[in-house]
Amino acid sequence: MFSINPEHAIGLFAGLLAIPIALIALRFHPAWSRATGTVRMASVLMIVTGAVHFALIPHHLNHDPLTSVLFFFNGAAFIGLAAMFTWRWWRLASSALIVMTVFGYLLYVAVGLEGPDQVGLATKLVEVTALGLVLIPVRGEPRRSRRTLRWTSLALAVPMLTVVGGVTLWIADLARPDARHVHAGALLQATATVATPEQWDAANQLYRQTKEAILPYEDWHKAYAAGYRPGGPSNMPSTHWMNAAYVKAGYVMDPQRPQGLVYANTKHGPVLLGAMFQMQHIGQFGPDPGGPITAWHQHENICFGPIGFEFSFMTPYGICPIGSIDISASPMLHVWIVDNPQGGPFAVDIDPAVVKAIDKA
Amino acid sequence: MNNQTSRPEIAFVLLLMQATFWMIAGLSAFPFALAGEFFMITLGLLSLVLAGVVLLLALGVVMRNQRARTWAIRLEWLTVVGSLLLVALPIGANHGPVSLMVNIVLPAAVIWLLRGKKMKAAFATA
Repeated sequence: MFSINPEHAIGLFAGLLAIPIALIALRFHPAWSRATGTVRMASVLMIVTGAVHFALIPHHLNHDPLTSVLFFFNGAAFIGLAAMFTWRWWRLASSALIVMTVFGYLLYVAVGLEGPDQVGLATKLVEVTALGLVLIPVRGEPRRSRRTLRWTSLALAVPMLTVVGGVTLWIADLARPDARHVHAGALLQATATVATPEQWDAANQLYRQTKEAILPYEDWHKAYAAGYRPGGPSNMPSTHWMNAAYVKAGYVMDPQRPQGLVYANTKHGPVLLGAMFQMQHIGQFGPDPGGPITAWHQHENICFGPIGFEFSFMTPYGICPIGSIDISASPMLHVWIVDNPQGGPFAVDIDPAVVKAIDKA
Repeated sequence: MNNQTSRPEIAFVLLLMQATFWMIAGLSAFPFALAGEFFMITLGLLSLVLAGVVLLLALGVVMRNQRARTWAIRLEWLTVVGSLLLVALPIGANHGPVSLMVNIVLPAAVIWLLRGKKMKAAFATA
């Protein structure tokens, strides 16, 4: 959802290129000088979205000719309507086209025919903006008809399409993450799909060394004495304890000096779940001795609050709740020393059922 | 061409969309609050309040209220500067086209639409 499908990137370029072309071309329209600013801007935006649809035709032609045909008619309709702004039924036709196009895209994403990406979402934002501009009544308009209906349609359609669009893309992204996204916000290191016997040996060795090194920290007082401090609220099932000195020193996957420890917050006190290695810089994935078994992950598009270790996920529109900021955490690798049946000893997450069972024990 | 400018109406549409974005951001914080991150409730509520304020500013702008215009410009400057700071800092903030459109292009467009002596006069005479 937050990445650009490389095959769709051409749509982004076409959309940007269409802006100056539309501005120049529409000036030759005989009624351009009489049109209101809202109509002019809506026409330009409709040409932009038309251009994006046209640009995506070649990519879809090979594997999905029906979509290519739909893109052609959609693009042609947008560009045609952009030039027909003096037509009596222009507002109705443009609104209907935009609403159908947005819902068409959302249907494609919902059923899995298309993956949500930045080009699709950006185009939908352009279309919803155009819809608002088509509908909004303007002071001094030549035809002052149906103002109440237009205000009502605007007040309902623009927020509704924005919310429904965002929610649909979010759900689709969470329900069907791509191969490198384990869950929302965690980007996996690119690795081969199958581990070699050597990689299995290396992963087992890393596990043994790490477990042996951190076992003394089962007593959380020793971890505290070694410089580990809990980050975030203790009312969560588990808490990461970070060692600022080890983070700053930048040790790379050193079993004796992991940057973090993970404790379950139980009624008997903190119970050690595992260790966490962390790299110093964003985008810098660490050594990967176990191949796909020990793939690092980087948390992206997380909205961190100013107090404690509280966070939420960034919305599809790239906005965080006010007061929190969007950051990425540098790549990390967990080593779980407790049995983690869901994903194994190097999984991105510990199985919540395991943490619950430890709490009850 | 009309003597009336339609820039406030364009700004209204953009502000309406921005209010919706803030509303979604506010609502998105609440599931995390249910999971024990209680401070996220405050941030979620603040975002919803901001969404309401932006909506009021949008209505004020379309009704040619001078104070709404001034505050809308101030708010958008704050948004642009804050967003540019996030883009410039090496904290891994999202630099995707949608984020740039929503956090930088949209507020910059509102500023561009509402600024200037002509617009000030248009709001004063309305």
